[in-house]
Amino acid sequence: MSGNRNKRSTAAFVLAAVLPVVLLVLSLTIGVYRIPPKAVFTTVVGAVFPGGASGGPSPYADILFRIRLPRLLLALFAGAALAVSGASLQAIFKNPLVFEFSLGISYGAAFGAALSLVFLGRKVPAQAAAFVFAIVAVLAVLFIAGKAAAQVVTILLSGVIVSALFQALLSLVEFFANPYALQSLIFWLMGSLAEAEWKDLGVTLPVIGVGVTVLILLRWRMNVLSLGDDEARALGVNVKREKIVVIVLAALTTAAATAVTGVISWVGLIVPHLVRMAVGADNRKVIPLSAAYGACLLIVADDIARSVASFEIPIGILTSVVGIPFFIVLLKKSGKIWL
Amino acid sequence: MRLLNLSGISRLLRAAVLALIIPAVPAGLAGQAGGPIKVVDSLGRTVVLPAKVERIISLEPEITRIIVALGAGERLVGIDFFLRRHDRLFPLVFPPSERLPVVSNQGQDLNYEEAIRLRPDIIFSSPSEFRMTDSIERKMKLPVVALASMGKFRDLLAEIETLGRIIGREERAAELVSFFGRRMGSLRETGPVRAAGAGPSAYLSFWGSLLRTPVSYEPVEAAGGKNLASGLLPSYLGTAGATVSLEQILLWDPEVILIQGNYPPAERQVTVEGILRDPRLASVRAVRDGRVHYTFGFWYWWDPALVLVETAYLVRLFHPGSFPDFDLTREGDAIFKEFYGAEGLFSALCRVLDCHEWKPE
Repeated sequence: MSGNRNKRSTAAFVLAAVLPVVLLVLSLTIGVYRIPPKAVFTTVVGAVFPGGASGGPSPYADILFRIRLPRLLLALFAGAALAVSGASLQAIFKNPLVFEFSLGISYGAAFGAALSLVFLGRKVPAQAAAFVFAIVAVLAVLFIAGKAAAQVVTILLSGVIVSALFQALLSLVEFFANPYALQSLIFWLMGSLAEAEWKDLGVTLPVIGVGVTVLILLRWRMNVLSLGDDEARALGVNVKREKIVVIVLAALTTAAATAVTGVISWVGLIVPHLVRMAVGADNRKVIPLSAAYGACLLIVADDIARSVASFEIPIGILTSVVGIPFFIVLLKKSGKIWL
Repeated sequence: MRLLNLSGISRLLRAAVLALIIPAVPAGLAGQAGGPIKVVDSLGRTVVLPAKVERIISLEPEITRIIVALGAGERLVGIDFFLRRHDRLFPLVFPPSERLPVVSNQGQDLNYEEAIRLRPDIIFSSPSEFRMTDSIERKMKLPVVALASMGKFRDLLAEIETLGRIIGREERAAELVSFFGRRMGSLRETGPVRAAGAGPSAYLSFWGSLLRTPVSYEPVEAAGGKNLASGLLPSYLGTAGATVSLEQILLWDPEVILIQGNYPPAERQVTVEGILRDPRLASVRAVRDGRVHYTFGFWYWWDPALVLVETAYLVRLFHPGSFPDFDLTREGDAIFKEFYGAEGLFSALCRVLDCHEWKPE
């Protein structure tokens, strides 16, 4: 059994190293504007080595470098951020149902975007407002939990309270919204990578990159924390401090992603579970693999979202509609929850 | 996990669906002079109406505007929240509306107790509110008529005629329909529109998003242009709108980009300047040639005067240089005077929307 699992782990790591890159390159060729693979190659080579191969016609370069590449990089980073955040929170709370929604991050971000889209016009971009209120939501959760912030029930209950508050505030903004501003808000709430721009990514990607990297580096400690608070203390770990560090990092990465993509649910729940099903509950494997497969999931979902119909399907709908039944089937087949 | 207030957007979603599934049903009407009359509304429902309609609640902004244009604004006893909170034009064309009770809100289709207090003879609703229409009729025990143009000129004119008959203003309705037909006909017959054949291709950015576009917009075609999204399947948002990708816009390579401009400048999410500066769109012809403009667009379907002004504006916009003397404000004021009887209404709207800056080159 253990030998099989080791083999599976090795295969999962090899695949995790290769698949995101392969998907990213393949996805560069997917889109309504048909660009032959050879033209993709020559355009990319032309951009990397300006004096060498032909850069191809200008629309190709515009589409590849100004539209597809930022979008794919956002999918890659956001997928990794959501999956790693989910895996980390599940590890430290020893609860398989915890993810960004549990800490009020999504509703906080949604409320921030709503304020911007409905009341502030272009003065405060929706991305900035979403990020600020996602962080406010997490800080509110930590504040309400107070000294008991390291306890699962307390922090989850605080998360439920803060989520409910921001949900109510979101409904209030919707109530007063101009119907056309409301449409913009609904569009944002459904999640989309369609408007990814380099200027947004310049801020988002470094935040996600740092957050995900540090969470991966903390994977050993998450193993200790997942043993239980008493055991972790016995091993010399400052449980409260470590948990708060993980929560803040998870919140930062998720908020940075959600601020640009809108609300994309279930990635943080589904991917870590799938990874655990494949390699077991060891966070040394689960956290980095979740990053890679989260990135893959969002790239594939976005490929589908932008290519199956004449209009774009919001990616948040796609991840929910496809992900939930898939998750249910897997749970039913396996008959247990991995943690 | 619920992030969407579905009740709040129900009418918009249902409108999109209905634009697909409801065939254009010109509302019909039959009956004897002086007696109860029967109307077939846009939902295909036959509604029996009293011969005299004195007190009206209208939940559909387009109907409310037409009632005012028909000269029966004083019969309105209750209006929809959109006109009070968000419509920049209606308070200008009908100032007494400021005192009218609002009988609906974003999450509530009708405040029944307020509606009962107002003792209406009839309630007008939108065909996109197909369940609500029957529900109101059952609860209020009043005739409820669902009408809307659904973005079609033909249905807009049929709606004006039907409303004219219902409120006993047939002659005024005929005048408006005739005026609309004549002005539209003269625009279509304008030399450059006829001569151009296939006019400029246009991409329309509506509903506060660069990527959302109407799959049908008759003013563009009437002005001799071609709506590039025409024929696409409407997707989930808005009224007969689709969401497309940036790549699709590049693939279409429109000659003109039109942005819905029915918002005061500070509320616009998409701007001419933003599109002209967007590096992703730099290779698009409209951007290269600087042909990115505001237009008016849907505003809970149409205002009959405004859509006529918009068509005239687009004719000039699509055929630059052909109309050196065109003055949008003068043209708009003349059309609005015909519909609403007062001077300077369009100028006043332009001050709010800043459309003095929209002059075609």
